[in-house]
Amino acid sequence: MLQGSEMNLKAERTVAIMAEWYTNEGKDNDVVLSTKACIVRNIKGYNFMPRLDDKECQSLLETVDNAVDKSIYNGGNAADFDNETILRLTRLQILGREASQLVEPERKAFYYNDDASLSITVGCGEHLTVKAMKQGHDIGVYKTAEKEALNLESKLDIAFSENYGFLTSNVRLAGTGLKILYTVSLPAISKTEGGIAALTQRVSQYEWTIYPFADRGEIADSDVYIIASVNTLGVTEDELLKRGEMLITDVIKAERACREEIATSKKEQSADIYGRSYGTLRYAGMISRSEALQALGWIRLYHDYDDSGEIKLSWNTLDKITMDILWEPGAPSRKSSQSAASQKYRANGIRNILKGDE
Amino acid sequence: MRCERCGKELTNRIIKINGVTYCDNCARLMGYDRFLREPSDLMGNPFAPLDQIASSLMQMSELDFGNSTLTCPKCGMTLREFENEGRVGCIECYNTFNENIIREMFKQQGNSEYAGRLPAQSADTDAETKEIPQIKKTAKPGIETVKMDPSANKATGKEETKAASVKEEEKGGLTIEQLAKADLGMLSDDDLEKGIKIAAEAEEYKLASRLRDELKGRKDGGNNG
Repeated sequence: MLQGSEMNLKAERTVAIMAEWYTNEGKDNDVVLSTKACIVRNIKGYNFMPRLDDKECQSLLETVDNAVDKSIYNGGNAADFDNETILRLTRLQILGREASQLVEPERKAFYYNDDASLSITVGCGEHLTVKAMKQGHDIGVYKTAEKEALNLESKLDIAFSENYGFLTSNVRLAGTGLKILYTVSLPAISKTEGGIAALTQRVSQYEWTIYPFADRGEIADSDVYIIASVNTLGVTEDELLKRGEMLITDVIKAERACREEIATSKKEQSADIYGRSYGTLRYAGMISRSEALQALGWIRLYHDYDDSGEIKLSWNTLDKITMDILWEPGAPSRKSSQSAASQKYRANGIRNILKGDE
Repeated sequence: MRCERCGKELTNRIIKINGVTYCDNCARLMGYDRFLREPSDLMGNPFAPLDQIASSLMQMSELDFGNSTLTCPKCGMTLREFENEGRVGCIECYNTFNENIIREMFKQQGNSEYAGRLPAQSADTDAETKEIPQIKKTAKPGIETVKMDPSANKATGKEETKAASVKEEEKGGLTIEQLAKADLGMLSDDDLEKGIKIAAEAEEYKLASRLRDELKGRKDGGNNG
């Protein structure tokens, strides 16, 4: 296992060279911000995390550390991360926004490749969580995550039962241990009366689920939603992926149809709000998270229907700003994220990105 | 979406109380009748208190008188801890709390049978190789437009509602009583599959497990052959 100082050096190097996976151009990125595949596994011979004592936990961390390919992955024990690395990993969506995974950091480890699109988390809920992420709509993330899961399964003695599949501490994950998540921005469906209710019904017909982008206890402050798989039993991985692809195709079509409906039936109003929203983001000296997300929603809605040609903004830039704001470290309910300094910092960041895109 | 108490597919109303989603029946059994009634019902029903008593009695019959002190011999987790946290402490817990875990799985997923890949064996999927074409943005109204009107959600193909399928099963003549008495060897695979769904919906988890094991045994036998 890497020693503390060695780890810090590696973390610093990583911060310096790390690209951002979510800045790559993805398919259907006018609606789908990202596609993620998470696979959880546990190792035989160790209690699950809630019943794992500190000594056993250290042994688990070492066992996994020996199995992780260091030519691909950076990182290591979370206790060795400095603040800059933690902030960076939060923005890259490896850590949650409140960094709640960093409670008892000495019992956890995070490994990530150079652009952080592939990661292995140790000790957060289950022994191992392999997560692959891509910008836009790309179900290829499953194969990326599966490849790493297979690698770990070949090196480690994984808890598996013929009846229940891969065994997990959280029995809702037992079975394939697989979750697919699409992060989608749905400003037009959100603004259509009964739109989200109808979509929720549609999603449940596929036995998937949809919920607003918000942490526990937060109030959703955007029209960004997560569409996630539910079943880990009674369905093969292939069936799950196919169902998800059918569903997300429906969602993309529905959102675009709603955008067209709003943009054409209320063209003047939409064009007006579009221009104002861009102006706010481009020139505001201070902006709250909620105001920024609402403005981004309107820009997204009318972007393809703006025929004035005055506003130059790529989908990729729009997605980057959206994800930067959504994944700001710290929950929106926290006072720190609403402070003047925080609003100035946010506005400055947005201005710089938009200036660069002109 | 499913009821978080009984696992039934929600087809009519979605009732969310204290963050938990219930079907009409479970909300009633839990004594949340007030969430189900229209104001006019309350005004017009002089026997509302009787309803409450009946509801309380029904709720009592739902109480778990099982062995809540059941403890995993390996990690020391108790059944109560599992029920409160939804997490188990070790692999052995799956044997110790087997029935409770199966029940939880049925509630969440309507199924407890594993169908995924084996360890260190790739899933048979074309997710990587299949080129997913970008969905065309030319959503001409009336051609590619997906109606967001809830009434337009008449399911087709795979999207049939569970309610509809349950009705079909009932038409097939299978009942819990018949399934419980049946010689499982005489039932077709199709009947066994239908029976698992019916038993799960009726919360007859032992029966559902028996049917599942019978079906699995046949499949395994077929594979080996």
